[in-house]
Amino acid sequence: MADNSKKPKSNFGKLFKKGEGLGDLFYDNYNLEIHREWRGFKDTFYDYYRWLVTWKDMIVMVLKAPISTVKGIWKYRWMSSYLTIPAFIDRHISGLKGPQLRMAHLHYNMIVKGGCDIIHMSFVADEKINPKNKYSKKIVLLDELIPHEVMAGFPNLIAMNTQTMPIFLASMVDQLITPPYLEEIEAYGVPADVCPLPSAEAGVAVADDYPKMGICMINCNMPCDGSIMTTSFQDRRFKLPSYTYSVPLRYNEEDVQEYAAEEVKQMIEFIEEQTGEKFDWDAYFKAMHTYNQQLDYELQKWDVNKTPYPQMTGAAFWLYRLFSYHISGGYDNRFLKVDKKVNKIMMKAYEKKTPCSKEMRHRAIVWSCPANYYTNFAAWLENCWGINVVMDMETMISYLKFNETDKEQAYRDLALTYERTTMRKHTKGGYRNVVDELWRIVEEYNADTVIMYDQISCKGMDGLNGIFDDQARERNINFIWVKQDLMDPRTISRRDLREQVNKYMTTVLQEEPVDATLVDFEDDLAW
Amino acid sequence: MKDLKHLFYFENLLQEANNELVQKAKEDGKLVLGYTCYHVPEVLLNVGNCVSARLRAPRTGSLDIATYYMSPFLCGYSKALLERGIEGGYNFLDALMASETCSEMNRTYEHFEVLKLVPNEKFFVSFMDVPFKVLPHTVKHYAKQARIKILDRLSEVYGVDTSDEALIKAVEEHNEVCRLMKEIGEYRKEDNPRITGYEYHILSLITYCCPKYLILDKLRETAEELKTRKPDDKKQFRAKIVVVGSEMDDPDFTKLIEESGALVVADRYCFGTIPGREEIKLNKDEDILQQICLHYMKTSECPRYMAQDKVLQRRKTVENLVKEYNAEGVLYEQIKFCEYWGYERALASHEMTEEYGVPSASVDRQYTASSSGQLRTRVQAFVESLEIKRIAKEREAKQNG
Repeated sequence: MADNSKKPKSNFGKLFKKGEGLGDLFYDNYNLEIHREWRGFKDTFYDYYRWLVTWKDMIVMVLKAPISTVKGIWKYRWMSSYLTIPAFIDRHISGLKGPQLRMAHLHYNMIVKGGCDIIHMSFVADEKINPKNKYSKKIVLLDELIPHEVMAGFPNLIAMNTQTMPIFLASMVDQLITPPYLEEIEAYGVPADVCPLPSAEAGVAVADDYPKMGICMINCNMPCDGSIMTTSFQDRRFKLPSYTYSVPLRYNEEDVQEYAAEEVKQMIEFIEEQTGEKFDWDAYFKAMHTYNQQLDYELQKWDVNKTPYPQMTGAAFWLYRLFSYHISGGYDNRFLKVDKKVNKIMMKAYEKKTPCSKEMRHRAIVWSCPANYYTNFAAWLENCWGINVVMDMETMISYLKFNETDKEQAYRDLALTYERTTMRKHTKGGYRNVVDELWRIVEEYNADTVIMYDQISCKGMDGLNGIFDDQARERNINFIWVKQDLMDPRTISRRDLREQVNKYMTTVLQEEPVDATLVDFEDDLAW
Repeated sequence: MKDLKHLFYFENLLQEANNELVQKAKEDGKLVLGYTCYHVPEVLLNVGNCVSARLRAPRTGSLDIATYYMSPFLCGYSKALLERGIEGGYNFLDALMASETCSEMNRTYEHFEVLKLVPNEKFFVSFMDVPFKVLPHTVKHYAKQARIKILDRLSEVYGVDTSDEALIKAVEEHNEVCRLMKEIGEYRKEDNPRITGYEYHILSLITYCCPKYLILDKLRETAEELKTRKPDDKKQFRAKIVVVGSEMDDPDFTKLIEESGALVVADRYCFGTIPGREEIKLNKDEDILQQICLHYMKTSECPRYMAQDKVLQRRKTVENLVKEYNAEGVLYEQIKFCEYWGYERALASHEMTEEYGVPSASVDRQYTASSSGQLRTRVQAFVESLEIKRIAKEREAKQNG
C-alpha cells in the first residue's frame, strides 16, 4: 500500500506552472483543480459552458423551493456533499476531448438534472421540513435497488428511492460523507466487517438522516445479505406499511420465475391498496416502449465497444447506465433524448475511428462492484496507463426487453429485469453468473486485461477469490486485483487503489505510464 | 451431578464428521446427505434409504487453503467446511443439499462442485431457492423447490423412494427424536436443572450429525436416566441465560459460558433445538410436502426472513424463552463475518434491552471459541451484571415491603 504519511506540499507555485501532465493540475491532498484543464480552444470552452450549465441546474433547484432546500442543507449532513457536484464532474471528465468529452458531459448533465429533481422532491415532501405538505402522501418509497419501471403504471404517484440520495449517490460525489454514518452504526453494535454500503444505510437510519416521507414502502432483498438486514433499521425509522419484495436468488433458473412474477403482481396490488390508485396499463406499456428504445441505444454502445474503436469508455459509461436504469423507469423522456444525442455523436466518432483516449494500450473489463468513493478510477486508468475500460459488471445489468402489450408477460418481464439489477451478478445466482460470465465477456470484448475489484467486505465475491485466480492463470490474462472497501476510504484509500495498479504495470508488465504525473499523488482529503 | 451414561460416547462421536454411526449407516446401504442450513428441511433428507448429516468440521486446524479460495474475510464455519472438504473429510457424502440462503455458505457449496471435492461419480450438489417471507405463494415456491431440488434429484440419481408414505415415515422418525429432545429439554425449566446446557448441546448435535435410527435407543436411555437424575444441592451457576444467534456447533462454547458462571437453558441458534426439534404435525387433507415446508418456514427464526411479522416473531420468541425457561438474560452470539447475525445481534440486543426489558449481551466469536479469554471475560461480566440486577431487584422488593 502507498505511504500516506507524506506531508502536504505548498500548491502556490503550481498556479504559474504550465505542468507536464494532468497530475500537475491539482492541489495536493484535495484533488481540486488549480485551473480548468486546457483541452484545446473549442473543447475547453465547451467544457466551461457545461460547467456553467451544471451550476445553472443546481441554482434552479434551489430557486424552485429556496426555504425547503436551505433547511435541507442545514438539516442533512449528506446534502452538503451535493454542493460539490461540479468538482465531481470535473474528476470524471479529466483528460477527455472531442466526442468523448461531449458524450460524457451530456450523460453527467442528465445525472445532475435527475439528481436535482430527487433532492428537490426530498425536501418539499419531507415531513420534518414541511409537516403538512401535499407531496408526501403521493410518494411510494422504493428500496434503492428497485428500478422505477413498476411505477410507470402509477403516473399519479411519485417514486422515490429511499437510500439513493442520502447515501448511495452522496458517497460517489464525496468520499468523506460515509465515515460518519459508518461510525454511527458501528457505535450501535453492527460489526465493522460487514459491507459498508448497507451498513452506512443503516447508519443514516440510526442518525435519523433520511427525509421522512411516503405513504408506503417497498423493501427488497437485493442485492445481498447485508441489504436484507438493513431493512429492519429502516422499517423502524419510517414506520410505514411495507411490502417485502422478495426476488429469487437462483434467478437464472426457469423454475423460480412463476414465483418471481407473482411477487411483482403482489407488489403492484400492495401499492394499489395503500394508495387507492389503479395500475394504468396504457401508461406502463407506453413507458416500456421508451425503455426499449433506451435499451437499443445502450446496446449500441456495447456493440461499438466490442470493435477496435471503442467510444464510450471510463466512468460515464457505467455511471449513466446505473442512473438511467434505476431512475428513468421509461417514463422520464429526458433520458431518451440524451441517449439519442449521445448515440449520434458516438456513431460519428466511430465511423471516423476516433481514438477514445490519448493512448489505447489495453482493453479492460472491470469486474465486481466499483468503489463508490472512487467512481472516476476508470478515468485514471485511462489517463495514467492507457487502460480503456470497454465493459464492466455494473453496466451489464439487465438487458432484457419488455413486452409492450401483454399484461401477463409484463409481470414476468418486470421480474426478470429486477432479478438482474445492480450488484446482483456478483452477489447472487451462483458462481457461473459471475465467473463464467466474466470469461465470456473477456472474449466477446477482446479484452487483454481484467481489473478485478476485491471489495474486501463483499462476502459473495470474497468467496470466489481463489477460483478467479485459478481460472485467470489458465487463461493467461492480465488479471489485476484491486482491493477496495466500497464506501469506506479509510480502510483502503484511493491512492492505495492506484498503487496496486501501478505495481502491476511496472513490475509485471514493466510499462511506462502514459502520464507520469498521475502515477502517485495524494487525495485523501478530496471530496 | 452424576455423569450421563452415554455422554462420553456422544462426545466422541462429535470428534469426526464421518463418525462411526455415519460409517455404520453407509455399511447399512444408506445414502448420506450433507447439509448445513435449517432452510433445507432436514426431514426430507431422511426419506427412503437416506440419512442426513448436518456438516461440522470438528477439530479444525489451519484454514490456509480455504483462505486462499475464500479470502480471510469469510466466516470460519464456511471456510472450515471447505478446508475439510479439500482434505477429503466429506468423501463419505452422496450428495450435498444446499440452499442459497447465505452468500458465504453458498460459496462453500459451490467449491464442492467446481473443485470436484467428493470423488463419487454420482455425488451432486443441489441448490434450493428459499423465499424471504411466509405467504401462500412463497410456501408453494418453497415446496416446489424442495420437490425439484431435493426429492426429484434423489429419485433420479439414486432411485430413492420419495412417495408421500416415505415422507410420512421420515416425519414419524423425526418426531420421535423431537419428543425425546423436548422431554429432556423440559428439565431445563427447573429451578435447579438436572441437565446442563453443555450436555444438552451435545445431545442436540448428535441428533443433527448422526443417523437418527442409530441414536434413538441411546437417546431413549438418556431420557429415562434423566427422570431420576438429581442435580447438585448447591446450584453450580450464578445466572440462567438464553443463547441466541448464528451457527453454533461447538459444544465447548457452551462449556465456556457455563464455566464463566452462567447456565444455558435455551438454545436459539443454528444447530440448537429452538427451532429444529419441534414435532411436525401432518393432516390428511393437505399436500404432505407443502405441510412439511410450511412447518420449516413458520418455525424458522433466521434473520434472513426480513418481513416485519417475522422480525417481530423473533423478538417475541426470545422474550417468551426468557420467561418460559426462567432465564435472567440473553446472550446474542454471532460467528465473525456473518452478515445476517452481525446486524441482527446489534439490533435485537438493543431492542431486547431497551424495549422488552430483557438484559442482553452481544458477542462475536470465531468458529471454534473455546480458548477465547476475551469471550470468557465478556460472559463473566454479563453474569455479574445479571447478579447486580437481581440484588437490586430483591432490595427494591424488600423496601417496598
